[in-house]
Amino acid sequence: MSIVELKEVCKTYPAFELKDISFSLEEGKITGFIGRNGAGKTTTIKSMLNLVHPDSGEIYYFGLPLAGHEREIKQRVGYSTGTLSWYPRKPIKNIVEVTRMFYPNWDEKSYRKYMELFGLDESKKPIELSEGMKVKFNLLLALSHRAEVLILDEPTSGLDPFSRDELLEVFATLKEHGATILFSTHITFDLERVADNIIYISQGEIRAAASKRDFTKHLGQAGETLEEIFLRLERKVTE
Amino acid sequence: MSAMLRKEMRLSALILTYLFIGFALLTLVPGYPVLCGAFFITLGIFQGFQSAKEANDIVYSALLPVAKRDVVKGKYQFVMMIELCGFAMMLILTVLRMTVFQASPVYRQNALMNANPFFLGSALLLFGLFNVIFLGGFFKTAYKMGKYFIIYIFVAFLVILGAEALHYFPGLDSLNAFGFEHFGLQLALLAAGILLYAALTYLSYNKACKDFERIDL
Repeated sequence: MSIVELKEVCKTYPAFELKDISFSLEEGKITGFIGRNGAGKTTTIKSMLNLVHPDSGEIYYFGLPLAGHEREIKQRVGYSTGTLSWYPRKPIKNIVEVTRMFYPNWDEKSYRKYMELFGLDESKKPIELSEGMKVKFNLLLALSHRAEVLILDEPTSGLDPFSRDELLEVFATLKEHGATILFSTHITFDLERVADNIIYISQGEIRAAASKRDFTKHLGQAGETLEEIFLRLERKVTE
Repeated sequence: MSAMLRKEMRLSALILTYLFIGFALLTLVPGYPVLCGAFFITLGIFQGFQSAKEANDIVYSALLPVAKRDVVKGKYQFVMMIELCGFAMMLILTVLRMTVFQASPVYRQNALMNANPFFLGSALLLFGLFNVIFLGGFFKTAYKMGKYFIIYIFVAFLVILGAEALHYFPGLDSLNAFGFEHFGLQLALLAAGILLYAALTYLSYNKACKDFERIDL
């Protein structure tokens, strides 16, 4: 059953176009959103969060259109990015206290658990955190309000191999608990590890969307890894 | 108090913004253009917006489980709170100047604008213009703000200059009334200031909601 659905989402910028983006996310599955830098991953994700207004197309969560149901949908959706951090000079504790006010479903137990797992210190400020720790902090905020859908924009970029491994473990555990996860990445190794489905975007168009097995079976050649398939497809598109 | 207003106060605001409310004390300084106090309060708000921009405050707010309109509402509520705190201080100090200090020579011999209800109405007009020009301008992009603040400085300067100069024009000396002189006219001018502030802020807020809904973050 699809829990998130994008239907023919289009967005035109002077130098870039997102063309008829359509895909759906299966409930309780991890979907890897892969594409090179500038392919349209972040614009698609921002459209899914109403940060970018598509010129046309529709976005549904839990069967509800995002337009007009923003408040209730966002209660059930978590977002984290590896590229932005909030309030660099405010203690984490203050940021969490404010964020918590907006979520009646805030799960203090999960929050404490992930604080410990990620090795975060509440008295620190984001400016004092490494890039990897900032990602973890963003993810912590998304994980602590029992989000049913997690949209993660390059959550593993900037993380050391151990932290990435930890995070991928967390994704797998969340999936076991029924969470639906979309995470954009250009690290194919992460997809090999945890993704059930793969959506491949290039030059603003979805080139393939399938289960990981079908993706490698139909688009891959004998013995090719995901990275090799991705590189070959990308070269073909840019030729 | 709304969650968005609490968020503005806890995360987005700069201590400087609160401290600048203290410029309302300029109301008591003799021989000083008292309306500048209102301008400095808005300067404190501008500083707060600059700091919030560096903290990615708008994107954080837009990602919260709120509608985009609520983000605008939170900012307007916060700005109005600061302005009205400043106004409340100015009101108390003006009442002091109109009663306890009304015969004080340092105020009587003041060549500049007197602290009276007309001054309070002018301060509200200045706040209303700030809300239209700066706040309304900010929500057109949610990141460009310098241009709108410069336009506001220019307009604010004209308003201050006009308010300071008007009572020198023939027949307008009642604008600079001491104590309770010309009290009916003075109250009418204050009421006009209140109405203008409410109308300008309301119009600006509605336009800001529409503009912010349209932009990409």
